[in-house]
Amino acid sequence: MLDIRRISTSRWWHKKKNWTIFGIFLFLVVVRISKGSIYKDLYYFISKPFWPGKFQKEIILKSVDQEYAIKLNLLKKDNNRLRRILSLQESSNNENISAAVISRKTGSWWRQIILNKGSKDGVEIGNIVIGPGGLLGRVKNTSFLTSSVTLITSPESKLGVWVDRTQINGLLVGLGDDSPSLILYSKDSDIKVGDFVSSSPASTLLPPNIPIGIVQSVDKTLKSKKTAKISLLAKPHLIDWVQILKVNI
Amino acid sequence: MNKFFTKKLSIISFIFIPIIFLWHPNWIGFLGVQPYWPLFWLLPWSMVNGSMNGLIFGFFLGLILDSLTSDNNFTQIPGLILCGFLFGRIKLHSDIFVGHFRYGLICSFGSFLCGTLYFLQILFRNFSDSNSLMLIPSIKNILAEVFLTGFFAPFICSQLLRMFKFSRRKI
Repeated sequence: MLDIRRISTSRWWHKKKNWTIFGIFLFLVVVRISKGSIYKDLYYFISKPFWPGKFQKEIILKSVDQEYAIKLNLLKKDNNRLRRILSLQESSNNENISAAVISRKTGSWWRQIILNKGSKDGVEIGNIVIGPGGLLGRVKNTSFLTSSVTLITSPESKLGVWVDRTQINGLLVGLGDDSPSLILYSKDSDIKVGDFVSSSPASTLLPPNIPIGIVQSVDKTLKSKKTAKISLLAKPHLIDWVQILKVNI
Repeated sequence: MNKFFTKKLSIISFIFIPIIFLWHPNWIGFLGVQPYWPLFWLLPWSMVNGSMNGLIFGFFLGLILDSLTSDNNFTQIPGLILCGFLFGRIKLHSDIFVGHFRYGLICSFGSFLCGTLYFLQILFRNFSDSNSLMLIPSIKNILAEVFLTGFFAPFICSQLLRMFKFSRRKI
């Protein structure tokens, strides 16, 4: 009788520790499935006192000269009219959401920022995020209060862009450092240092004509490809406020 | 309440790893790269609790950190599992001074292992297009991370190890 009792008490399910580990595992699986929403929302509350103030936002807004704003408006109207005539893709008149950067990973492999606006504010997966200067990245996932943005410098990012001067389409690939690479699939492509790169009208992920960067250096031609390093106009490691564009492409 | 905190100190500190991972303090960084935070916790935990526990919590850490990064295609789990298992096989050194600096070397090695495994996944995924372009930034990332992790490990790991041993003794 005693022997039976000894065997039965040594079963794994009688150990409290195993159930604790199983409980932790279940909890983590829930966290994993929800893409860390619990943690991100918890981080939202912890980091709230340290968010950037409105001061910087006001400076940025004031620095936009009135005259340039009016000119830009006129050019936009003109651009839309011409696009309609040529039956090209239109960047829809989007509503912008202003958001603060509450977490920033701009080094190493993981290049992402977390914003303080989430699905509650209408942010959706695939929305475009721009900062002063130009494109920063795309919203990869959202929680109730926050949204994660994959930066264009991330090794996960691949976007269709074009060189404005020569109007050649290429692929902008993040490499895990501060300057992504532009790949042009023709070794005779005409590209020079200083050329301006913007989102391609042929891209299915981005609206056309969002400024991205400037060609910093042109690398040696590899097989049938030409590659160039791009210096980004928007600096993700400095920007505290961004705009989320709700675009319908 | 106090007793509860003392007993569960290791688990409570576990919760803070993802928060630090998200916080990403730039002033600690080198070339924009941060130390690999989860190893600072995993090393003392595995040394105190053994290989199996190290392996399990390496997996847990990988799960939670993967859910915080927006990269869906790459995972940190294999590196952390391997590190958890290897760290568990390391015995505590009797000489405190030697032990102190040994954490730096071990964490550097762990960071190199995790970085390389992550890089191999990226290489495998982008096999066709941009392999050669990724090589130099990736090596830079791995080396900077190895240096920083090794630099901070002696300070953080020895404190955490003392804390874990203390909470274990109370149990």
